[in-house]
Amino acid sequence: MTVAAEPHPWRVPPRWVLLVAVLSIVCAEIGGASMARFKVELTRWARDAMLARPAVHGLVGVRDVDERILDEALVKFDAGLRLFHMHAEGMGLVIIATTMVAATVARAGVARRVIIALLTTGGAGYPVGYLVWSALIPAYGLERAKTIAEWLVWIPFGSATIVALWWLTGLLALRMIGR
Amino acid sequence: MTRVMLALLATLLAAPAAAHHVGAYVPKDNAVTINFKQVKFSVQARKFDIALRLFETGALRAEMRAHAATLPAGLEDGTRAALAASDGPEVERRLMIFFAALARDLALEADRRLAEAGGTAESRAATGRKFLEAIWRYYNLVDFAVATRDNKTSVAVRLAFDEAETYVKPATGAAAPADPARLRPPLQRIAQVLSTLIEASPTHARRDS
Repeated sequence: MTVAAEPHPWRVPPRWVLLVAVLSIVCAEIGGASMARFKVELTRWARDAMLARPAVHGLVGVRDVDERILDEALVKFDAGLRLFHMHAEGMGLVIIATTMVAATVARAGVARRVIIALLTTGGAGYPVGYLVWSALIPAYGLERAKTIAEWLVWIPFGSATIVALWWLTGLLALRMIGR
Repeated sequence: MTRVMLALLATLLAAPAAAHHVGAYVPKDNAVTINFKQVKFSVQARKFDIALRLFETGALRAEMRAHAATLPAGLEDGTRAALAASDGPEVERRLMIFFAALARDLALEADRRLAEAGGTAESRAATGRKFLEAIWRYYNLVDFAVATRDNKTSVAVRLAFDEAETYVKPATGAAAPADPARLRPPLQRIAQVLSTLIEASPTHARRDS
């Protein structure tokens, strides 16, 4: 009995890529566990930091008004940590899957290396934006913290991933057309 | 041509890259409004013993004591007496007075803050907006009770509230920018109308005859 050889065997992405993806998942797990373990301490720290900067958060010193502002900021602070956990976990798997496709499909050396680099840095960097956003909320307020995280992390790293994914999609389409 | 295609691609990519999911905030009840709802639903279910226990151990009574100086005399004792007597409408009326008083005090405080000099128009509008949210959170709980007893008061508060909201809305598109200076008259109207309602509502415990 003979076994037919696979026409396009999957190629494993470079080791550093796998290391980054696994590290991203490890960070997500540590982040999730820490979030649950230190929930009270984190909330207390964020609340104290916000109370120390009433002007930043628009606190007016009236409990009925301020409690809503603090509650919203604390909910978003917690959401940032949760979204970091979720995205870092997911993007680790996305990095492995997409770089494997890139390593298999992209023939040209430069294109392959650039796509893999973009997918890896973009995928690993993007979730950090949620951590940055969350950490900046107590000091800068909801909107300012979001703007900083956007320009510092989400837009550059998110764009890197999107560019790489479209590039990879284009390569795949070209290969399908060329058959 | 290639440059045009690249520019188009970059523009298309920028939109999804900027749309980050950061979660949505749904305002929660505070301890006072939670306790109010517990007492209200217990009374509606005619479980007065439960309502009395919830009132005596909850945040509602603690808040009544904390605001005793600005509340009509006998409000807390009268509410407890009405619960003990299984008098649902009287419990509702007293709780209406309590929340009307909370909303009135917030309107007075907001007016006082806005009268103070300093701050940009945006920051003053933001302060006004937050006060309006707090006022509505309390008043909204008893608006139905107010409307069934004194429809003119309910309409007056709603109209003043709607007017106040238009002065603190952030500028979007063709809409006029926030004008916090004009916020004071509707706030004063809310406080005055609610004061009249509170003063017109007796709070001493009713005698059974």
